[in-house]
Amino acid sequence: MYAVAEKARARGMLGRIQEHSHRFYPYLLMAPALILIGVVSMYPTLYSFYLALTTVRKGEMVFIGLENFATIIASRQFWQSLQLTLIFGVFYITLTMLISFLLALAFNRGLSLGALCMTLIFIPWVLSEITSGVMWRWMFYRDYGVLQNLIGPLFGGVTLIATPAGAMGIVTAASVWRSTAFTMLLLLAGLQTIPKEVYEAAAIDGATKWTAFWKVTWPLLRPTTLVTVVFLSIQVVNAVGMFLAITEGGPGRATEVLPLHMYREAIQYFHFGYGAALSVIMFFINAILAAVYIRALRSESAWA
Amino acid sequence: MLAKRFGSPAVNILLLAVALAFIFPVFYTVMTSLRAPGYGLSSDIIPDSFYWGNYARLWSYGRFPRYILNSIIDALGGALLTCVAAAPAAYALARLRFKGRDPLLWFILGMMMIPGLTNLIPLYKLASDLKLLSTYTIMILVFGAYGVPLGVWIMKGFFESIPRELEEAAAIDGATPLQTFLRIVIPISGPGLTATFLINFVYNWNNFITPLILISKTIMKTATVGLFDFQHALEGNQDELLAAACVVILLPAVALFVTMRRYFLQGMIEGAIKG
Repeated sequence: MYAVAEKARARGMLGRIQEHSHRFYPYLLMAPALILIGVVSMYPTLYSFYLALTTVRKGEMVFIGLENFATIIASRQFWQSLQLTLIFGVFYITLTMLISFLLALAFNRGLSLGALCMTLIFIPWVLSEITSGVMWRWMFYRDYGVLQNLIGPLFGGVTLIATPAGAMGIVTAASVWRSTAFTMLLLLAGLQTIPKEVYEAAAIDGATKWTAFWKVTWPLLRPTTLVTVVFLSIQVVNAVGMFLAITEGGPGRATEVLPLHMYREAIQYFHFGYGAALSVIMFFINAILAAVYIRALRSESAWA
Repeated sequence: MLAKRFGSPAVNILLLAVALAFIFPVFYTVMTSLRAPGYGLSSDIIPDSFYWGNYARLWSYGRFPRYILNSIIDALGGALLTCVAAAPAAYALARLRFKGRDPLLWFILGMMMIPGLTNLIPLYKLASDLKLLSTYTIMILVFGAYGVPLGVWIMKGFFESIPRELEEAAAIDGATPLQTFLRIVIPISGPGLTATFLINFVYNWNNFITPLILISKTIMKTATVGLFDFQHALEGNQDELLAAACVVILLPAVALFVTMRRYFLQGMIEGAIKG
């Protein structure tokens, strides 16, 4: 009798030890991922906060407090880059959403050519920014560019890529072209969560297709739309590859958007402190957008 | 009836026209790559005759083959590292209850949303201090880490979709979570791992700005950075060679996407909206 109770207690203790070591398993399993993110993402980000407070004088790194930020705020180029980023963002997001939305509505009808067309539309998304950039420069090449010859005459025959607005337009178009497929996929996934019964009920109530769209599809899709717009905003803040590949900020500095400005200051002119300060500003813009995104996702899943 | 199920012919044709317009730049590039040397750029789209020699010329142009090799090593190494790190983390988040699980989940989602661009400057400085600039090590580490948040998200979704019974049986037999994970879960995780691997491989393969900043030695450049150099050297005079380089670089990514489309689309949806 006593022995049995002892055994039971022993097993209980063993169980507890096992239980105790099991508590470490989740952290053990998480460790490789967290270490990688820590070393490659978190630590450099914190380091950039420090770098932002320094500059290089006579080959020595010196601490200068918030001077870099003061320089940035006083710099005309910063405000112009910010303005260019906003202009790019407005056109890029509006056009991407519009085209993606129309495509998503078309795909949602289950077309017989749907699978083929989806594959084709996704191809720009699997291209590198630099490959896309080479292609789009050709499309708008002086005298030979296929699109230059098509669209140029509408603007008095100027070489579009050589004008500030034209260059911005070309990078915007190329970026929309690359982002449409993925955006469309997000919207399509949203559309497919709307149950058919809702439309049937609307039809019974005598709703036309047009009113069904505005009274059913649109409100139900609004959370997905919000998530998608925030996602695209993050792309805008970090859009550097296409600008580098198509215009390199030109003509002059007419397309030197914020991330490109940061890249040039830090990597081409070796102004690490200044570049780091710019990247800190961009990090906070990103962090705010990411927070909005996560909130939107949370409310969407709460809603579903 | 048929029209109702598959859409009217008009809508289908319109959509096909849009889809063809989307791939026109790719088509134009392939056509340009088939022009004889010196006949690169043209406003005619299809050349009179196809010249395949540019691909052979590319083989001995600059260090193009080496760039391709570098891209393969960096992209492959990075994607594998991502899988190895992301899978166990995703398993812990999907199946185990522990303190700090929710904050970690949102932390990883946040990391996924914040692109690596803003930490490239400090990363450049750190890599330079550690003498790791222009090495496979730094590229594989960085690519591996960049892929982790998305990888965790894809794998977590996958683990949540498989039934628990097998794992519960293993746990009753006294297996630890680690043993269960390695012996029971991993062997049936093919689809989730494939999606994680493929998406990250293509991302790494296409990544242009990261190697542009972290690699300065010519011999270590990736194909995308090499293409950026070629663009400066060849555009306007040897466009047919530049076009051939574009085609060689885009072909693996496009081929993987077309043949494994399901994994890409599922993975992307999982990553972006299944919060």
